[in-house]
Amino acid sequence: MGEILKLENISYLVRSGKKTIQILDSINFNLEENNILGISGESGSGKTTLAKIIAGVLPKTEGEIIFSGKNTLNKKKRPIQILFQNNGEILNPLREIDKIVEEAIIISSSEYNPRSKMEEIFNSINFPGHLWKRKGYELSGGEQQRAALARILAANPELLILDEPFSAQDPESQLNLLNLFLSINKKFNITMICIAHNLRILQKLCSKIIILYDGEIIEEGKTEEIFNSPKHPYTKFLLKAENYDLSYEELKYERKQS
Amino acid sequence: MLDVAIKNLLLKRRNGFRTVLKDISFSIPVNNIFTIVGKNGSGKSTLIKSLTDLLDKRFYKIDGQILFNSQDILLLKKNELMELRQKKIKYVFQDAINSFDHLKKFGYYFNKLTKNLEETEELLNFFFLPDPGILFKLYPYEVSGGMAQRISLVLVLLTHPQIIILDEPTSGIDSPIASLVLLKLKEFASSANNSVLLVTQDLLFAKRISNKIAFLFDGNLTEFFSVPDFFDNSNNEKLNLFLNSYTEIS
Repeated sequence: MGEILKLENISYLVRSGKKTIQILDSINFNLEENNILGISGESGSGKTTLAKIIAGVLPKTEGEIIFSGKNTLNKKKRPIQILFQNNGEILNPLREIDKIVEEAIIISSSEYNPRSKMEEIFNSINFPGHLWKRKGYELSGGEQQRAALARILAANPELLILDEPFSAQDPESQLNLLNLFLSINKKFNITMICIAHNLRILQKLCSKIIILYDGEIIEEGKTEEIFNSPKHPYTKFLLKAENYDLSYEELKYERKQS
Repeated sequence: MLDVAIKNLLLKRRNGFRTVLKDISFSIPVNNIFTIVGKNGSGKSTLIKSLTDLLDKRFYKIDGQILFNSQDILLLKKNELMELRQKKIKYVFQDAINSFDHLKKFGYYFNKLTKNLEETEELLNFFFLPDPGILFKLYPYEVSGGMAQRISLVLVLLTHPQIIILDEPTSGIDSPIASLVLLKLKEFASSANNSVLLVTQDLLFAKRISNKIAFLFDGNLTEFFSVPDFFDNSNNEKLNLFLNSYTEIS
């Protein structure tokens, strides 16, 4: 398997009045084709910003992103796609879902039969036939997320970034989504990056995990390494706090350590 | 004390009405934390919004009674209702960042609420948030979603309400921060005549924080069970399915 993505010293700075704030600080990592990478870490540590920079939505301040061996993204093919947390916003609420997806297939490929490609996509994400003709606003949150995913798959991405796909989903939907991502990864050979706070789900989905803290990567490793022998104090803290049973003194102490 | 008895909550459709909630009745005693869990789209957020008459009357019709300290909230005059929402029953919504005006710095909200900088500092400190000197100068778009949610909770606590209602308090925040929210809410609920109502998908959080938990399915609410009874609910098929998925995912 080849390397699909390589980040070299990616930094992101924003100006606030006279001050400059560093959101991301020298991020380095690489990702092999067809792997699923998990990114977790503190609220506000820069996870979504990083996702946007990789996808080319935000410009990086410094550093180099190598995707499929090149340091520029193909603007026409858009090989990197993000499934955002508020995915309702990427769907035109007044258009029928099948029209949106079919159009995306026509734009992104020279598919001979877009309709059958569309059916293949809908089937593989369990998007039932009675919803195809619905409009965005007529779908529930979970259904919207699936529709948004169909729209993304229609664009034939090579790398799919999932931003907190599990948050605010009920346990049953979380389980369905988890299996869905695993099967998409296999079926469409799509490399994935998944951002999530819930480490237990990342453990089931990803082969490698990165922990971000205050704009820096503080730990990176194979999933079982992170869970069995975390090295950085903050990673240990995250895992310890997962049971919601630490006292305030423990929370404060652990935070100081990390 | 909040006594809820909603006979029907209807949503207007093109042709007639759709029932969103049916025969919901429960009471939250003081010094308790009650939690409602349920699948996406089961009506959880609609239910909590209906409690202080927040739903848009052009689309929703509610038939029932919601008693707060023996007064029916649904019969209050507009100014009485505003006062209740300002002082007595406060919400922390999921999308906290958009509860703020993006062109006003956080200082605006704090200064409007309280002159007591000591209490503010104490709360900010508790939640690992920046000191007033820094935070008050920030705009809502300069903080992360998780931070906005904590700030929103601090503002709610500063008004000293009797009831706090939270929608998905752990979504989008890391576990240490969720633990802080848990500790603070427990402290709040155990003092004065306070109580807390929350809806969440995070069953572990619900387990750790709640006095009682109920399950909302298709607009019907089960009774509020004690925590052990809730997780050992073998005769409710729908709830069992829900709990099984949870066990599998965690």
